[in-house]
Amino acid sequence: MNNNPAEGEARGVRETAADVNGGRRRAVEVLEEALARVESGDRRVGAFIEVTTGPAREEAATVDARVAAGEKLPLAGVPIAVKDNLWVAGRQTTCASRILRGFRPSEDATAVARLRRAGAVFVGRTNMDEFAMGSSTENSSVLKTANPWDLSRIPGGSSGGSAAAVSARFVPAAIGSDTGGSIRQPAACCGVVGFKPTYGRVSRFGLVAFASSLDQVGPLTRNVSDAARVYRVIAGQDPRDSTSAGEPVGDPEAAAGTGFAGRTVGFLVDADAEGLDPEVAANLEEARKAFRAAGASVTTVSIPRASAAVAIYYVIASAEASSNLARFDGVRYGPREPASDLLSLYVETRTAGFGAEVKRRILLGTFALSAGYHEAYYGRAMSARQLLSEDFDRAFSRVDVVVCPSIPTPAFRLGEKTEDPLSMYLSDVFTVPASLAGLPAITVPSGLSRGRLPLGIQIVAPRFSEETLFAAAGALERELAFPQELPSGMA
Amino acid sequence: MVRKVAALARLRVPDTDLSAWTDQLGRILSYIGQLESIPERPIAPEAPLPATPVRADEPIPGHGADALETNAPLTVHGYGSVPRIVGSLTP
Repeated sequence: MNNNPAEGEARGVRETAADVNGGRRRAVEVLEEALARVESGDRRVGAFIEVTTGPAREEAATVDARVAAGEKLPLAGVPIAVKDNLWVAGRQTTCASRILRGFRPSEDATAVARLRRAGAVFVGRTNMDEFAMGSSTENSSVLKTANPWDLSRIPGGSSGGSAAAVSARFVPAAIGSDTGGSIRQPAACCGVVGFKPTYGRVSRFGLVAFASSLDQVGPLTRNVSDAARVYRVIAGQDPRDSTSAGEPVGDPEAAAGTGFAGRTVGFLVDADAEGLDPEVAANLEEARKAFRAAGASVTTVSIPRASAAVAIYYVIASAEASSNLARFDGVRYGPREPASDLLSLYVETRTAGFGAEVKRRILLGTFALSAGYHEAYYGRAMSARQLLSEDFDRAFSRVDVVVCPSIPTPAFRLGEKTEDPLSMYLSDVFTVPASLAGLPAITVPSGLSRGRLPLGIQIVAPRFSEETLFAAAGALERELAFPQELPSGMA
Repeated sequence: MVRKVAALARLRVPDTDLSAWTDQLGRILSYIGQLESIPERPIAPEAPLPATPVRADEPIPGHGADALETNAPLTVHGYGSVPRIVGSLTP
Protein backbone atom coordinates (compact mmCIF):
# COMPACT_ATOMS: atom_id res chain seq x y z
CA MET A 1 0.00 0.00 0.00
CA ASN A 2 1.29 3.44 -0.87
CA ASN A 3 0.26 6.00 1.69
CA ASN A 4 2.45 8.84 0.50
CA PRO A 5 0.03 11.80 0.52
CA ALA A 6 1.94 13.50 -2.28
CA GLU A 7 1.31 10.53 -4.55
CA GLY A 8 -2.31 11.41 -5.12
CA GLU A 9 -1.92 15.18 -5.26
CA ALA A 10 -1.76 15.49 -8.99
CA ARG A 11 -4.49 12.98 -9.68
CA GLY A 12 -7.84 14.36 -10.59
CA VAL A 13 -11.27 12.77 -10.77
CA ARG A 14 -10.84 10.90 -14.05
CA GLU A 15 -7.32 9.61 -13.32
CA THR A 16 -8.38 8.38 -9.88
CA ALA A 17 -11.43 6.57 -11.27
CA ALA A 18 -9.31 5.03 -14.07
CA ASP A 19 -6.71 3.84 -11.54
CA VAL A 20 -9.31 2.25 -9.26
CA ASN A 21 -11.35 0.72 -12.11
CA GLY A 22 -8.12 -0.62 -13.63
CA GLY A 23 -6.98 -2.22 -10.37
CA ARG A 24 -3.84 -0.08 -10.16
CA ARG A 25 -4.92 1.47 -6.86
CA ARG A 26 -7.57 0.57 -4.36
CA ALA A 27 -10.23 3.01 -3.16
CA VAL A 28 -9.08 2.46 0.41
CA GLU A 29 -5.54 3.59 -0.53
CA VAL A 30 -6.84 6.64 -2.37
CA LEU A 31 -8.91 7.54 0.68
CA GLU A 32 -6.04 7.14 3.15
CA GLU A 33 -3.90 9.47 1.00
CA ALA A 34 -6.68 12.06 0.97
CA LEU A 35 -7.19 11.75 4.73
CA ALA A 36 -3.45 12.21 5.27
CA ARG A 37 -3.46 15.38 3.14
CA VAL A 38 -6.43 16.75 5.11
CA GLU A 39 -4.75 15.83 8.39
CA SER A 40 -1.52 17.62 7.50
CA GLY A 41 -3.00 20.65 5.73
CA ASP A 42 -6.47 21.51 7.01
CA ARG A 43 -5.26 23.01 10.27
CA ARG A 44 -4.05 25.93 8.13
CA VAL A 45 -7.04 26.09 5.77
CA GLY A 46 -10.13 25.09 7.76
CA ALA A 47 -11.99 23.69 4.75
CA PHE A 48 -13.77 20.92 6.67
CA ILE A 49 -16.31 21.24 9.45
CA GLU A 50 -16.07 17.50 9.97
CA VAL A 51 -13.99 14.71 8.44
CA THR A 52 -16.05 11.51 8.52
CA THR A 53 -13.21 9.01 8.55
CA GLY A 54 -15.10 5.91 9.73
CA PRO A 55 -18.00 5.93 7.27
CA ALA A 56 -15.63 7.00 4.46
CA ARG A 57 -13.45 3.93 5.09
CA GLU A 58 -16.54 1.71 4.88
CA GLU A 59 -17.57 3.39 1.63
CA ALA A 60 -14.11 2.94 0.12
CA ALA A 61 -14.13 -0.77 1.04
CA THR A 62 -17.55 -1.10 -0.60
CA VAL A 63 -16.22 0.52 -3.77
CA ASP A 64 -13.27 -1.88 -3.83
CA ALA A 65 -15.66 -4.81 -3.49
CA ARG A 66 -17.85 -3.50 -6.34
CA VAL A 67 -14.82 -3.02 -8.60
CA ALA A 68 -13.53 -6.50 -7.70
CA ALA A 69 -16.96 -7.86 -8.70
CA GLY A 70 -16.49 -6.38 -12.16
CA GLU A 71 -18.32 -3.03 -11.95
CA LYS A 72 -16.87 -0.07 -13.87
CA LEU A 73 -17.76 3.11 -11.98
CA PRO A 74 -17.42 6.65 -13.34
CA LEU A 75 -16.22 7.93 -9.94
CA ALA A 76 -14.60 4.74 -8.63
CA GLY A 77 -12.90 5.58 -5.34
CA VAL A 78 -12.94 9.36 -5.96
CA PRO A 79 -12.80 11.15 -2.57
CA ILE A 80 -15.40 13.91 -2.56
CA ALA A 81 -16.09 16.65 -0.04
CA VAL A 82 -19.70 17.74 0.38
CA LYS A 83 -20.92 21.18 1.41
CA ASP A 84 -22.64 21.15 4.80
CA ASN A 85 -26.08 21.83 3.28
CA LEU A 86 -26.51 18.53 1.42
CA TRP A 87 -27.79 15.44 3.15
CA VAL A 88 -25.49 12.47 3.56
CA ALA A 89 -27.53 9.79 5.35
CA GLY A 90 -26.78 9.44 9.04
CA ARG A 91 -24.13 12.18 9.14
CA GLN A 92 -24.75 15.71 10.33
CA THR A 93 -25.99 18.44 7.96
CA THR A 94 -25.98 21.81 9.72
CA CYS A 95 -25.60 24.52 7.05
CA ALA A 96 -22.84 25.81 9.36
CA SER A 97 -25.64 27.10 11.60
CA ARG A 98 -26.22 26.77 15.31
CA ILE A 99 -29.92 26.23 14.63
CA LEU A 100 -29.28 22.91 12.85
CA ARG A 101 -26.56 21.62 15.16
CA GLY A 102 -26.89 17.85 15.54
CA PHE A 103 -29.34 17.39 12.65
CA ARG A 104 -28.90 13.98 11.01
CA PRO A 105 -30.90 13.33 7.83
CA SER A 106 -32.35 9.86 7.35
CA GLU A 107 -31.35 9.60 3.70
CA ASP A 108 -28.98 10.89 1.06
CA ALA A 109 -29.71 13.91 -1.09
CA THR A 110 -30.41 12.72 -4.64
CA ALA A 111 -27.11 14.20 -5.86
CA VAL A 112 -25.27 12.41 -3.05
CA ALA A 113 -27.06 9.10 -3.78
CA ARG A 114 -26.05 9.38 -7.45
CA LEU A 115 -22.42 10.08 -6.50
CA ARG A 116 -22.50 7.08 -4.18
CA ARG A 117 -23.82 4.80 -6.92
CA ALA A 118 -21.04 6.10 -9.19
CA GLY A 119 -18.37 5.02 -6.67
CA ALA A 120 -17.59 8.28 -4.84
CA VAL A 121 -16.34 8.24 -1.25
CA PHE A 122 -17.51 11.02 1.11
CA VAL A 123 -14.58 12.39 3.05
CA GLY A 124 -16.45 14.98 5.08
CA ARG A 125 -18.55 18.12 5.10
CA THR A 126 -17.14 21.47 4.13
CA ASN A 127 -17.47 24.87 5.68
CA MET A 128 -19.85 27.46 4.23
CA ASP A 129 -21.55 30.73 4.99
CA GLU A 130 -24.48 29.97 7.27
CA PHE A 131 -27.38 28.75 5.09
CA ALA A 132 -25.23 29.66 2.04
CA MET A 133 -25.73 33.38 2.73
CA GLY A 134 -22.46 35.13 2.07
CA SER A 135 -19.53 35.56 -0.27
CA SER A 136 -16.56 34.86 2.00
CA THR A 137 -17.49 31.86 4.22
CA GLU A 138 -16.98 34.22 7.19
CA ASN A 139 -20.67 33.86 8.09
CA SER A 140 -20.09 30.27 9.23
CA SER A 141 -20.99 29.74 12.89
CA VAL A 142 -18.34 27.01 13.12
CA LEU A 143 -14.95 28.18 11.85
CA LYS A 144 -13.09 30.47 9.46
CA THR A 145 -11.75 29.11 6.18
CA ALA A 146 -8.60 30.52 4.59
CA ASN A 147 -7.72 30.80 0.91
CA PRO A 148 -5.00 28.21 0.12
CA TRP A 149 -3.25 30.77 -2.11
CA ASP A 150 -2.93 33.30 0.73
CA LEU A 151 -4.01 32.23 4.19
CA SER A 152 -4.85 35.82 5.21
CA ARG A 153 -7.55 36.02 2.54
CA ILE A 154 -11.09 34.71 2.08
CA PRO A 155 -11.75 31.59 0.01
CA GLY A 156 -14.93 33.19 -1.38
CA GLY A 157 -18.35 31.87 -0.55
CA SER A 158 -20.65 30.50 0.21
CA SER A 159 -19.09 27.16 -0.88
CA GLY A 160 -15.71 28.37 0.43
CA GLY A 161 -14.83 25.13 2.20
CA SER A 162 -15.51 23.11 -0.95
CA ALA A 163 -13.39 25.46 -3.10
CA ALA A 164 -10.53 25.49 -0.57
CA ALA A 165 -10.59 21.67 -0.21
CA VAL A 166 -10.11 21.24 -3.96
CA SER A 167 -7.62 24.08 -4.29
CA ALA A 168 -5.46 22.74 -1.42
CA ARG A 169 -5.43 19.32 -3.17
CA PHE A 170 -7.18 17.61 -0.26
CA VAL A 171 -9.73 16.08 -2.65
CA PRO A 172 -10.05 16.08 -6.45
CA ALA A 173 -13.70 17.18 -6.31
CA ALA A 174 -16.21 18.79 -4.00
CA ILE A 175 -19.91 19.49 -4.22
CA GLY A 176 -21.29 22.95 -3.62
CA SER A 177 -24.56 24.79 -4.07
CA ASP A 178 -25.00 27.99 -6.03
CA THR A 179 -27.84 30.45 -5.44
CA GLY A 180 -26.22 33.70 -6.62
CA GLY A 181 -22.66 32.57 -7.35
CA SER A 182 -21.81 30.39 -4.36
CA ILE A 183 -19.95 27.83 -6.51
CA ARG A 184 -18.49 30.11 -9.20
CA GLN A 185 -17.25 32.95 -6.96
CA PRO A 186 -15.27 30.79 -4.47
CA ALA A 187 -13.94 28.70 -7.37
CA ALA A 188 -12.50 31.90 -8.86
CA CYS A 189 -11.05 33.02 -5.53
CA CYS A 190 -9.33 29.64 -5.04
CA GLY A 191 -8.21 28.96 -8.63
CA VAL A 192 -10.44 25.97 -9.36
CA VAL A 193 -13.26 25.16 -11.77
CA GLY A 194 -16.76 25.74 -10.41
CA PHE A 195 -19.89 24.88 -12.36
CA LYS A 196 -23.53 25.84 -11.79
CA PRO A 197 -25.86 23.80 -14.02
CA THR A 198 -29.05 25.11 -15.63
CA TYR A 199 -31.85 25.61 -13.10
CA GLY A 200 -33.61 22.23 -13.08
CA ARG A 201 -30.67 20.09 -14.23
CA VAL A 202 -29.76 18.67 -10.83
CA SER A 203 -32.26 17.55 -8.21
CA ARG A 204 -32.38 19.63 -5.04
CA PHE A 205 -33.92 16.84 -2.99
CA GLY A 206 -31.83 16.82 0.18
CA LEU A 207 -30.35 20.27 -0.40
CA VAL A 208 -31.43 22.51 2.47
CA ALA A 209 -33.44 25.21 0.70
CA PHE A 210 -32.25 28.84 0.68
CA ALA A 211 -33.94 30.44 -2.35
CA SER A 212 -35.88 27.81 -4.23
CA SER A 213 -36.18 29.63 -7.56
CA LEU A 214 -32.36 29.94 -7.71
CA ASP A 215 -30.65 27.08 -5.82
CA GLN A 216 -28.64 24.58 -7.87
CA VAL A 217 -26.16 21.85 -6.92
CA GLY A 218 -22.87 21.59 -8.80
CA PRO A 219 -19.23 20.44 -8.73
CA LEU A 220 -15.92 22.13 -7.96
CA THR A 221 -12.86 20.42 -9.47
CA ARG A 222 -9.35 21.19 -10.67
CA ASN A 223 -10.18 20.98 -14.36
CA VAL A 224 -13.10 21.33 -16.76
CA SER A 225 -13.32 17.66 -17.82
CA ASP A 226 -13.45 16.53 -14.19
CA ALA A 227 -16.34 18.95 -13.58
CA ALA A 228 -18.11 17.48 -16.63
CA ARG A 229 -17.65 13.94 -15.24
CA VAL A 230 -19.12 14.79 -11.83
CA TYR A 231 -21.93 16.84 -13.39
CA ARG A 232 -22.90 13.95 -15.70
CA VAL A 233 -23.30 11.73 -12.65
CA ILE A 234 -25.54 14.09 -10.65
CA ALA A 235 -27.66 15.50 -13.52
CA GLY A 236 -31.09 14.31 -14.53
CA GLN A 237 -34.72 14.28 -13.56
CA ASP A 238 -35.75 13.16 -10.11
CA PRO A 239 -39.35 12.36 -9.12
CA ARG A 240 -38.59 13.87 -5.70
CA ASP A 241 -37.85 17.33 -7.12
CA SER A 242 -40.69 18.56 -9.31
CA THR A 243 -38.48 21.37 -10.65
CA SER A 244 -35.93 18.91 -12.05
CA ALA A 245 -35.99 18.64 -15.83
CA GLY A 246 -35.91 15.69 -18.20
CA GLU A 247 -33.88 17.29 -21.02
CA PRO A 248 -31.14 14.93 -22.29
CA VAL A 249 -27.79 15.60 -20.59
CA GLY A 250 -25.67 14.46 -23.56
CA ASP A 251 -21.94 13.94 -23.17
CA PRO A 252 -20.46 17.03 -21.47
CA GLU A 253 -17.09 15.34 -20.94
CA ALA A 254 -16.66 14.69 -24.66
CA ALA A 255 -17.89 18.25 -25.35
CA ALA A 256 -15.08 19.63 -23.16
CA GLY A 257 -12.56 18.28 -25.67
CA THR A 258 -14.19 19.42 -28.91
CA GLY A 259 -12.78 22.94 -29.04
CA PHE A 260 -14.65 26.13 -29.89
CA ALA A 261 -13.48 26.92 -33.42
CA GLY A 262 -16.10 28.63 -35.54
CA ARG A 263 -18.31 29.48 -32.56
CA THR A 264 -19.08 33.00 -31.33
CA VAL A 265 -18.15 34.39 -27.94
CA GLY A 266 -19.82 37.56 -26.64
CA PHE A 267 -17.89 39.50 -24.02
CA LEU A 268 -20.18 41.36 -21.66
CA VAL A 269 -19.77 45.00 -22.63
CA ASP A 270 -21.02 46.29 -19.29
CA ALA A 271 -18.24 44.37 -17.51
CA ASP A 272 -15.65 46.80 -18.83
CA ALA A 273 -17.36 49.57 -16.89
CA GLU A 274 -15.34 52.03 -14.91
CA GLY A 275 -14.20 50.60 -11.60
CA LEU A 276 -13.20 47.15 -12.80
CA ASP A 277 -9.96 46.09 -11.12
CA PRO A 278 -7.14 46.72 -13.66
CA GLU A 279 -5.73 43.22 -13.20
CA VAL A 280 -9.18 41.70 -13.79
CA ALA A 281 -9.57 43.87 -16.89
CA ALA A 282 -6.17 42.75 -18.21
CA ASN A 283 -7.09 39.14 -17.53
CA LEU A 284 -10.32 39.59 -19.48
CA GLU A 285 -8.22 40.76 -22.42
CA GLU A 286 -6.15 37.55 -22.14
CA ALA A 287 -9.38 35.56 -22.32
CA ARG A 288 -10.34 37.45 -25.50
CA LYS A 289 -7.02 36.49 -27.07
CA ALA A 290 -7.41 32.90 -25.88
CA PHE A 291 -10.81 32.48 -27.52
CA ARG A 292 -9.45 33.99 -30.76
CA ALA A 293 -6.49 31.59 -30.59
CA ALA A 294 -8.99 28.74 -30.19
CA GLY A 295 -10.57 29.79 -33.49
CA ALA A 296 -13.71 31.40 -32.07
CA SER A 297 -14.97 34.77 -33.23
CA VAL A 298 -15.17 37.33 -30.48
CA THR A 299 -17.66 40.14 -30.16
CA THR A 300 -19.37 42.13 -27.42
CA VAL A 301 -22.88 41.80 -26.05
CA SER A 302 -24.92 43.98 -23.76
CA ILE A 303 -27.12 42.72 -20.93
CA PRO A 304 -28.61 46.08 -19.94
CA ARG A 305 -30.32 44.83 -16.77
CA ALA A 306 -27.18 43.07 -15.46
CA SER A 307 -26.26 46.21 -13.56
CA ALA A 308 -29.47 45.85 -11.52
CA ALA A 309 -28.99 42.14 -10.90
CA VAL A 310 -27.62 42.46 -7.37
CA ALA A 311 -30.63 44.58 -6.34
CA ILE A 312 -33.08 42.14 -7.96
CA TYR A 313 -31.29 39.20 -6.39
CA TYR A 314 -31.30 40.51 -2.84
CA VAL A 315 -35.05 41.10 -2.94
CA ILE A 316 -35.97 37.73 -4.46
CA ALA A 317 -33.43 35.55 -2.65
CA SER A 318 -34.18 37.18 0.71
CA ALA A 319 -37.94 36.89 0.19
CA GLU A 320 -37.63 33.19 -0.58
CA ALA A 321 -35.19 32.67 2.30
CA SER A 322 -37.54 34.32 4.80
CA SER A 323 -40.18 31.82 3.77
CA ASN A 324 -37.90 28.74 3.57
CA LEU A 325 -36.25 29.44 6.92
CA ALA A 326 -39.58 29.77 8.73
CA ARG A 327 -39.34 26.02 9.35
CA PHE A 328 -36.46 26.46 11.80
CA ASP A 329 -38.36 27.08 15.00
CA GLY A 330 -37.00 24.70 17.64
CA VAL A 331 -39.81 22.18 17.25
CA ARG A 332 -38.56 19.51 14.84
CA TYR A 333 -34.78 19.84 14.82
CA GLY A 334 -31.80 21.61 16.34
CA PRO A 335 -31.21 23.00 19.81
CA ARG A 336 -34.18 24.58 21.59
CA GLU A 337 -34.08 27.61 23.84
CA PRO A 338 -36.04 27.34 27.10
CA ALA A 339 -39.45 29.01 26.82
CA SER A 340 -42.75 28.98 28.66
CA ASP A 341 -45.00 29.31 25.62
CA LEU A 342 -44.85 28.53 21.92
CA LEU A 343 -44.27 32.06 20.59
CA SER A 344 -41.33 32.57 22.95
CA LEU A 345 -39.98 29.19 21.89
CA TYR A 346 -39.97 30.30 18.25
CA VAL A 347 -38.54 33.75 18.92
CA GLU A 348 -35.86 32.73 21.41
CA THR A 349 -34.73 29.67 19.41
CA ARG A 350 -34.49 31.63 16.16
CA THR A 351 -32.82 34.63 17.79
CA ALA A 352 -30.18 32.41 19.41
CA GLY A 353 -29.84 30.01 16.48
CA PHE A 354 -29.40 32.28 13.46
CA GLY A 355 -26.32 34.43 12.85
CA ALA A 356 -26.37 38.13 11.92
CA GLU A 357 -26.37 37.76 8.13
CA VAL A 358 -29.18 35.20 8.13
CA LYS A 359 -31.26 37.46 10.36
CA ARG A 360 -30.54 40.42 8.09
CA ARG A 361 -31.82 38.52 5.05
CA ILE A 362 -34.87 37.17 6.87
CA LEU A 363 -35.74 40.73 7.90
CA LEU A 364 -35.15 42.04 4.38
CA GLY A 365 -37.25 39.25 2.86
CA THR A 366 -40.05 39.60 5.40
CA PHE A 367 -40.16 43.32 4.69
CA ALA A 368 -40.18 42.80 0.90
CA LEU A 369 -43.14 40.44 1.21
CA SER A 370 -45.09 42.41 3.80
CA ALA A 371 -48.44 44.06 3.18
CA GLY A 372 -47.99 47.47 1.59
CA TYR A 373 -44.47 46.80 0.32
CA HIS A 374 -44.89 43.55 -1.60
CA GLU A 375 -45.57 45.15 -4.99
CA ALA A 376 -42.95 47.89 -4.62
CA TYR A 377 -40.17 45.40 -3.85
CA TYR A 378 -40.95 41.78 -4.67
CA GLY A 379 -43.30 42.52 -7.58
CA ARG A 380 -40.90 45.02 -9.11
CA ALA A 381 -37.93 42.66 -8.68
CA MET A 382 -39.80 39.80 -10.37
CA SER A 383 -40.64 42.06 -13.29
CA ALA A 384 -36.99 43.18 -13.58
CA ARG A 385 -35.87 39.56 -13.38
CA GLN A 386 -37.97 38.73 -16.43
CA LEU A 387 -36.48 41.67 -18.36
CA LEU A 388 -32.98 40.49 -17.43
CA SER A 389 -33.80 37.01 -18.69
CA GLU A 390 -35.00 38.49 -21.98
CA ASP A 391 -31.72 40.45 -22.24
CA PHE A 392 -29.88 37.11 -22.18
CA ASP A 393 -32.28 35.60 -24.77
CA ARG A 394 -31.47 38.50 -27.12
CA ALA A 395 -27.73 38.07 -26.54
CA PHE A 396 -27.92 34.33 -27.29
CA SER A 397 -29.58 35.03 -30.62
CA ARG A 398 -26.19 36.49 -31.65
CA VAL A 399 -23.59 34.51 -29.69
CA ASP A 400 -23.09 30.97 -28.40
CA VAL A 401 -21.81 31.97 -24.96
CA VAL A 402 -21.47 35.16 -22.88
CA VAL A 403 -18.19 35.80 -21.07
CA CYS A 404 -17.30 38.10 -18.17
CA PRO A 405 -15.09 37.95 -15.07
CA SER A 406 -16.26 35.69 -12.23
CA ILE A 407 -15.10 38.12 -9.53
CA PRO A 408 -14.62 41.90 -9.65
CA THR A 409 -11.35 41.73 -7.65
CA PRO A 410 -9.04 38.94 -6.44
CA ALA A 411 -9.92 37.47 -3.03
CA PHE A 412 -10.05 40.16 -0.35
CA ARG A 413 -8.65 39.90 3.17
CA LEU A 414 -10.46 38.06 5.94
CA GLY A 415 -12.43 40.63 7.92
CA GLU A 416 -12.20 43.31 5.23
CA LYS A 417 -15.94 43.43 4.43
CA THR A 418 -17.63 41.83 7.42
CA GLU A 419 -18.91 45.16 8.72
CA ASP A 420 -20.26 46.28 5.35
CA PRO A 421 -22.93 43.85 4.08
CA LEU A 422 -23.70 45.87 0.93
CA SER A 423 -20.06 45.85 -0.14
CA MET A 424 -20.01 42.07 0.44
CA TYR A 425 -23.16 41.66 -1.70
CA LEU A 426 -21.45 43.49 -4.57
CA SER A 427 -18.79 40.75 -4.79
CA ASP A 428 -21.51 38.74 -6.57
CA VAL A 429 -22.07 41.35 -9.27
CA PHE A 430 -20.91 39.06 -12.11
CA THR A 431 -22.46 35.82 -10.91
CA VAL A 432 -26.05 36.76 -9.98
CA PRO A 433 -27.27 37.56 -13.52
CA ALA A 434 -26.93 33.93 -14.71
CA SER A 435 -28.59 32.74 -11.49
CA LEU A 436 -31.60 35.00 -11.97
CA ALA A 437 -31.99 33.84 -15.59
CA GLY A 438 -31.54 30.16 -14.62
CA LEU A 439 -28.60 29.73 -17.00
CA PRO A 440 -25.67 27.30 -16.79
CA ALA A 441 -22.40 29.06 -15.96
CA ILE A 442 -18.86 28.00 -15.18
CA THR A 443 -15.74 29.56 -13.68
CA VAL A 444 -12.48 28.71 -15.39
CA PRO A 445 -9.32 29.71 -13.49
CA SER A 446 -7.65 32.20 -15.78
CA GLY A 447 -4.41 33.40 -14.25
CA LEU A 448 -2.73 34.84 -11.19
CA SER A 449 -2.59 38.47 -10.11
CA ARG A 450 0.75 40.17 -9.38
CA GLY A 451 0.16 39.19 -5.75
CA ARG A 452 -0.25 35.56 -6.90
CA LEU A 453 -3.98 35.39 -6.25
CA PRO A 454 -6.21 33.46 -8.66
CA LEU A 455 -8.45 35.18 -11.18
CA GLY A 456 -11.43 33.56 -12.87
CA ILE A 457 -13.37 33.92 -16.10
CA GLN A 458 -17.05 33.07 -16.17
CA ILE A 459 -18.76 31.58 -19.22
CA VAL A 460 -22.58 31.57 -19.47
CA ALA A 461 -24.60 29.52 -21.98
CA PRO A 462 -28.29 29.24 -22.90
CA ARG A 463 -30.55 27.03 -20.77
CA PHE A 464 -29.75 23.33 -21.11
CA SER A 465 -26.76 24.09 -23.38
CA GLU A 466 -24.19 22.63 -21.00
CA GLU A 467 -22.38 20.87 -23.86
CA THR A 468 -21.75 24.24 -25.52
CA LEU A 469 -20.63 25.62 -22.17
CA PHE A 470 -18.15 22.78 -21.60
CA ALA A 471 -16.81 23.09 -25.15
CA ALA A 472 -16.07 26.78 -24.54
CA ALA A 473 -14.65 26.14 -21.06
CA GLY A 474 -12.39 23.33 -22.27
CA ALA A 475 -11.04 25.51 -25.08
CA LEU A 476 -10.40 28.44 -22.74
CA GLU A 477 -8.69 26.19 -20.19
CA ARG A 478 -6.32 24.76 -22.80
CA GLU A 479 -5.37 28.19 -24.13
CA LEU A 480 -4.88 29.85 -20.74
CA ALA A 481 -3.05 26.94 -19.05
CA PHE A 482 -3.61 27.98 -15.43
CA PRO A 483 -0.51 27.04 -13.37
CA GLN A 484 -0.77 23.54 -11.87
CA GLU A 485 1.51 24.36 -8.93
CA LEU A 486 0.46 23.79 -5.34
CA PRO A 487 -1.15 27.00 -3.98
CA SER A 488 1.42 29.17 -2.22
CA GLY A 489 -0.26 28.90 1.19
CA MET A 490 0.17 25.13 1.08
CA ALA A 491 3.83 25.00 0.04
CA MET B 1 -40.26 49.36 11.55
CA VAL B 2 -37.33 46.97 12.18
CA ARG B 3 -39.01 45.78 15.36
CA LYS B 4 -42.31 45.22 13.58
CA VAL B 5 -40.68 43.21 10.78
CA ALA B 6 -38.64 41.25 13.33
CA ALA B 7 -41.84 40.32 15.17
CA LEU B 8 -43.38 39.10 11.90
CA ALA B 9 -40.23 37.02 11.31
CA ARG B 10 -40.28 35.60 14.85
CA LEU B 11 -36.98 37.29 15.72
CA ARG B 12 -35.98 39.61 18.54
CA VAL B 13 -33.67 42.56 17.94
CA PRO B 14 -31.91 43.59 21.15
CA ASP B 15 -32.01 47.32 22.00
CA THR B 16 -28.24 47.54 21.68
CA ASP B 17 -28.36 46.34 18.05
CA LEU B 18 -31.41 48.30 16.91
CA SER B 19 -29.69 51.36 15.50
CA ALA B 20 -27.00 49.34 13.68
CA TRP B 21 -29.65 47.07 12.14
CA THR B 22 -31.80 50.01 11.11
CA ASP B 23 -28.81 51.68 9.49
CA GLN B 24 -27.64 48.55 7.62
CA LEU B 25 -31.10 47.64 6.36
CA GLY B 26 -31.69 51.26 5.35
CA ARG B 27 -28.55 51.26 3.21
CA ILE B 28 -29.49 47.96 1.57
CA LEU B 29 -33.03 49.19 0.83
CA SER B 30 -31.64 52.40 -0.58
CA TYR B 31 -29.44 50.38 -2.94
CA ILE B 32 -32.43 48.23 -3.93
CA GLY B 33 -34.29 51.47 -4.70
CA GLN B 34 -32.56 51.51 -8.10
CA LEU B 35 -35.20 49.00 -9.24
CA GLU B 36 -37.61 51.92 -9.48
CA SER B 37 -35.82 52.99 -12.66
CA ILE B 38 -36.72 49.74 -14.41
CA PRO B 39 -40.14 49.97 -16.04
CA GLU B 40 -42.64 47.59 -14.51
CA ARG B 41 -44.17 45.02 -16.77
CA PRO B 42 -46.78 42.44 -16.03
CA ILE B 43 -45.14 39.07 -15.54
CA ALA B 44 -46.49 36.96 -18.37
CA PRO B 45 -44.44 34.14 -19.84
CA GLU B 46 -44.33 34.21 -23.63
CA ALA B 47 -45.10 30.51 -23.89
CA PRO B 48 -47.26 28.55 -21.49
CA LEU B 49 -45.15 26.87 -18.83
CA PRO B 50 -45.12 23.08 -18.81
CA ALA B 51 -47.41 21.53 -16.24
CA THR B 52 -45.80 20.55 -12.96
CA PRO B 53 -44.72 16.93 -13.36
CA VAL B 54 -46.42 14.55 -10.99
CA ARG B 55 -45.20 11.17 -9.83
CA ALA B 56 -47.38 8.11 -9.38
CA ASP B 57 -49.58 8.38 -6.32
CA GLU B 58 -48.16 5.32 -4.61
CA PRO B 59 -46.93 4.77 -1.08
CA ILE B 60 -43.16 4.99 -0.63
CA PRO B 61 -41.18 4.28 2.51
CA GLY B 62 -40.96 7.33 4.74
CA HIS B 63 -38.66 8.20 7.60
CA GLY B 64 -40.94 10.58 9.46
CA ALA B 65 -41.01 8.81 12.82
CA ASP B 66 -37.28 7.94 12.72
CA ALA B 67 -36.38 11.47 11.71
CA LEU B 68 -38.47 12.92 14.52
CA GLU B 69 -36.90 10.59 17.09
CA THR B 70 -33.40 11.36 15.82
CA ASN B 71 -33.70 15.10 15.48
CA ALA B 72 -36.51 16.61 17.56
CA PRO B 73 -35.28 18.62 20.57
CA LEU B 74 -37.87 16.99 22.83
CA THR B 75 -40.07 13.95 22.27
CA VAL B 76 -42.43 12.25 24.67
CA HIS B 77 -43.68 8.73 23.85
CA GLY B 78 -42.66 9.21 20.20
CA TYR B 79 -44.38 12.59 19.80
CA GLY B 80 -42.74 15.98 19.48
CA SER B 81 -43.34 18.01 22.60
CA VAL B 82 -43.87 21.80 22.67
CA PRO B 83 -44.90 24.28 25.36
CA ARG B 84 -48.40 25.68 25.73
CA ILE B 85 -49.89 26.86 22.43
CA VAL B 86 -53.27 28.34 23.33
CA GLY B 87 -53.12 32.07 23.80
CA SER B 88 -49.39 32.36 23.07
CA LEU B 89 -49.24 33.33 19.41
CA THR B 90 -50.28 36.97 19.61
CA PRO B 91 -47.02 38.95 19.74
